[in-house]
Amino acid sequence: MTAAAIEARGLGKDFGSIRALDRLDLDVRAGEFFGLLGPNGAGKTTTVHLLATLLAPTRGTARVVGHDVAQDDLAVRRAIGLVFQDTTLDRDLTVQENLRFAARLWNLPARLAVPRIDALVRQFGLGERRDDPVRTLSGGMRRAADLARGMLHEPRVLFLDEPTAGLDPRARRSLWELIRRLREASGLTVLLTTHYVEEAEPCDRVAVLDHGRLAALGTPADLKRDAGVASLEEVFLARTGHPLAESGAA
Amino acid sequence: MSTRAVYGIVVRELVRFLRQRGRVLASVGRPFVWLIFAGAGYAAVFAGRNEIDYRVYMAPGLLGMVVMFGALLAALSTVTDRDAGVLRMVLVAPIRRGTIALGKVLGATVLATTQAVTVSVLLLPLVHLRPSLAGGLLALSAVVLSSLALGALGLVLAAGIRSLENFAGVMNFVVFPMLFLSGALYPVRHLGPVLRMVAYVNPLAYGVDLLKHALLGAWTGAGYGGELSPSLDVAALGVFAVLGLLAAAPLLAREGGVTRTAFRERA
Repeated sequence: MTAAAIEARGLGKDFGSIRALDRLDLDVRAGEFFGLLGPNGAGKTTTVHLLATLLAPTRGTARVVGHDVAQDDLAVRRAIGLVFQDTTLDRDLTVQENLRFAARLWNLPARLAVPRIDALVRQFGLGERRDDPVRTLSGGMRRAADLARGMLHEPRVLFLDEPTAGLDPRARRSLWELIRRLREASGLTVLLTTHYVEEAEPCDRVAVLDHGRLAALGTPADLKRDAGVASLEEVFLARTGHPLAESGAA
Repeated sequence: MSTRAVYGIVVRELVRFLRQRGRVLASVGRPFVWLIFAGAGYAAVFAGRNEIDYRVYMAPGLLGMVVMFGALLAALSTVTDRDAGVLRMVLVAPIRRGTIALGKVLGATVLATTQAVTVSVLLLPLVHLRPSLAGGLLALSAVVLSSLALGALGLVLAAGIRSLENFAGVMNFVVFPMLFLSGALYPVRHLGPVLRMVAYVNPLAYGVDLLKHALLGAWTGAGYGGELSPSLDVAALGVFAVLGLLAAAPLLAREGGVTRTAFRERA
């Protein structure tokens, strides 16, 4: 596949008088692990929701695996997986029921869905809990179930919007391990948003967003070298003139 | 249109409903509470007229009431889905907004129809109403059509609402005028012109009227049967259902529901 996984040109979104995203130009290559780094309110979630067709752009255009987000929203949604900041699972249904529900929404016939659910549940360490209501699961397991839901239809591009928010360090590590294995297995393109610099470090490239504007873009190594600093934290300070404030959980 | 997605949405509505035992019992028990308390009171007012036992007169209205509560309260799931985030999972699926609305309305229809059928099995023998086969089938059509129309109305009301408290408030405001202006408890034609006008923009009035055609045919001469023509009832319910579906689909996906609130929280 030669086409870019994600191309945004002058993409922007206003909410009334609030300029959530100014004019973003972005190219994410197929198979890339791409990070959007910035503090809360920088426009990361807005960017993801624009690319996922959940919001209509105020200006500019974007294509995801070649499909225009404004004109071909169904094709875009078919090609992507999206794991939201907060769980989207039905807490009253079991893990299995949630995945069955998702499989039907994604129009997967049972003969495809059943073996895939079995495989994902095992792969994500949810085997013993598959018949338990989601509300009884720990935060880490819930997140794993969310990720299983996002991967069920085998998307080509996976959006992870602050996936580790509210997770303890151990759950974070196992989530990253899962994502690493998914990328290795399928050449999946991953776009991650985070306000934790350490989560952006392993990315192939990082875009630094601040106040709805692109402040810097490059590999973590290039960004640090160009700014003459030792960490992405300092890159943020050097490019925006203020520190990446948040340090705790969202 | 993905029929699999519609089916998935309907199945989920059913599973969720059946797990809420209190709600299941309340939906079946509620009409009998009305039959006992409202029935006793109105029967006393009716006393002295022998054309029809008030409890018989009330039966179609009670079935209409079951449909109303069943279909409108089914929209609760749309409010909780938005609140709990499940709506986002549905909105990011590769289906049209209209498919989601149709799934929700059909889910409400299955719930309300099942409740009304269950209640009629208990209620009709109790008041000694034995509809003919044709009457029974007409009653079933009335129940299904009313469920569609009221399910769509419930979805329109729920689609723009964020909190359960707000939904409960709106429902109380809608439910009682709708019930009293439906002909469920007394004939609409005795109302003044203004209230009668209001009654005719009330989907439940057409549903109850059709149920009276189905169940009270024997009392039409005495003035207790349906007042409008059955085909007008059917057409009106169909129009309400279609308008409701068309109105609800864009409301479900309103930006405010997905990202804007999230953005405000963070900004």
